Amino acid sequence: MLELEQVSLQRAGKRLLWQVSLQAVPGELCVILGPNGAGKSTLLQVMSGYLRPDSGRVRLGEQDTVGLSAARLASLRAVVEQQATVPSGWRVSELVAAGSYFAAPGQQTAAMAQALALTDTSKLAQRRLDSLSGGEAQRAHLARALCQLLASAQKERYLLLDEATAALDFAIADSQMAQWRQLAQDLHIGVVAVVHDLNLALRHADRVLLLQDGCSIAFGRTADIMQQARLEAIYGIRLAELISPDAGIRAFVPHTRR
Amino acid sequence: MIRLSLLCQCLLVALLLTCLGSLLHGSGIVWAMLHGNQTLPALQLQLLLQLRLPRLLVAICSGMLLSSAGAAIQARFRNPLAEPGLLGIYSGAALAAALALSLGAGILPVSLAGFAGSLLTLWLIRLLASPNGNGSRLILSGVAISALLGSLLTLLITTLPDGALRSITFWLMGSFANAEWPQAWLLLLASPLVWLGLFRHWRLLNALQLGEAAAFHLGFDIRRGAWLVVCLASIAAGVVVSSCGMIGFVGLLAPHLTRLLTGSDARRLLLAAPLLGAWLTVSADWLARSLLAPAELPVGVITSLLGAPFFLWLLRREQESPRA
Repeated sequence: MLELEQVSLQRAGKRLLWQVSLQAVPGELCVILGPNGAGKSTLLQVMSGYLRPDSGRVRLGEQDTVGLSAARLASLRAVVEQQATVPSGWRVSELVAAGSYFAAPGQQTAAMAQALALTDTSKLAQRRLDSLSGGEAQRAHLARALCQLLASAQKERYLLLDEATAALDFAIADSQMAQWRQLAQDLHIGVVAVVHDLNLALRHADRVLLLQDGCSIAFGRTADIMQQARLEAIYGIRLAELISPDAGIRAFVPHTRR
Repeated sequence: MIRLSLLCQCLLVALLLTCLGSLLHGSGIVWAMLHGNQTLPALQLQLLLQLRLPRLLVAICSGMLLSSAGAAIQARFRNPLAEPGLLGIYSGAALAAALALSLGAGILPVSLAGFAGSLLTLWLIRLLASPNGNGSRLILSGVAISALLGSLLTLLITTLPDGALRSITFWLMGSFANAEWPQAWLLLLASPLVWLGLFRHWRLLNALQLGEAAAFHLGFDIRRGAWLVVCLASIAAGVVVSSCGMIGFVGLLAPHLTRLLTGSDARRLLLAAPLLGAWLTVSADWLARSLLAPAELPVGVITSLLGAPFFLWLLRREQESPRA
């Protein structure tokens, strides 16, 4: 289990996170939701071990992340960054290979091939990254992170995604999130994603954490947490809930400003 | 993209041919051989062994050092404009060397003072850099230190007598003319060490190109690793600048040119860039010696004079070509 326990973080006198707790388990997609500036990305950086919390504990599997080496952390979790930049001229295969730098030599090629296949990027392997569309580039970065996890010998592994759908159109974003959930189940990894779109979270997330001003408002099963009144309070807006009975789909759209 | 082994072989052949040409040019040996004279005059042999050969070795090694250091430092800071002297290493070395010159020291003490100056600058930057390995703060501190040391240097130069002024100018321009065996040995020792140190970290250099956070996420201890890369590159710059002065543009141009041929992968880059860099410095030295013979130009003038316009053309070309 990836577990945050009463995590607080301050930077330059500003409270970024206050006593946030969360549990993500392998096989599930856990989504962090909240308005801009709520501390979602900061929370993800605490989970990844990049930021050290002022108080509280972060455990990956059985291990406290404080004191773990960068290489050890990398075998337990992989991260897709918010604005993943790539030096010009890199090919997809080179990017994905970067995920397996710490793997045993025999495992590198197998992990790479599997990561490319899982993300449907095998055909793009020799393409230059700066020639890809936004959706293709996103899949390449996902492949890099998966390669890192597949090359690891650890039993429990986590994939952390920071607003990885922000630059995608809604059809691609939707299929991406469906894929994360599928990957979580197939590979038995825990996936934690920061997402902006309420409706994508509603459709695909197993668990949701609602964050506001660095505080956890609610955490639990998606259907229990995503209540209209609660969301209206967090975003400061009136919402209309739309239901399509034959497709079985719920969605929230902005109604009027309160 | 050209196959790496083929590229390296081509570069090696070009380098060897240029070395041979530079070594023998104007020495009368080819002439003597063509006319069937088997014995070389002792004076010619002396010229080759005591002047030409160490000079050639210094040129090769400094080209290799500058270009591999340039490739590493560009990768570390994700900045194509970065070069080995970025952090004020050159200014520190120049200031210390000028100080030694003004005290009337000879060539070797001046070199040693220059190297000590570059190490001191590196130490100073280490003190000012942020503890979490933030690259942009490191660059900005380096730029400020560079400006500070540069102005101190100017201040010192205005007080120098004419003779010392001439030699410091020559040194500032960069020249292999003073290269003798001690410098050649120093560079021969330093270049494989620095190169191996950098090449061992090619994975880290690749990861750093994705960003500092990404490199950490991939499993690299960026605080230690990134500092090691900066240290090695700065030592390379310090060794070169203290033994043959400031040779502009090679550290910037050679990695760029190589990247056009190999792509950005640090392993390929670090294999090919030293060969290309060495070829550039050897050619530039040959030109510097023979263009206005018997007078000699500072080699830094040649590298900048040819390098800068070429670099501008390269930038234009990169901008115009569609990214595919």
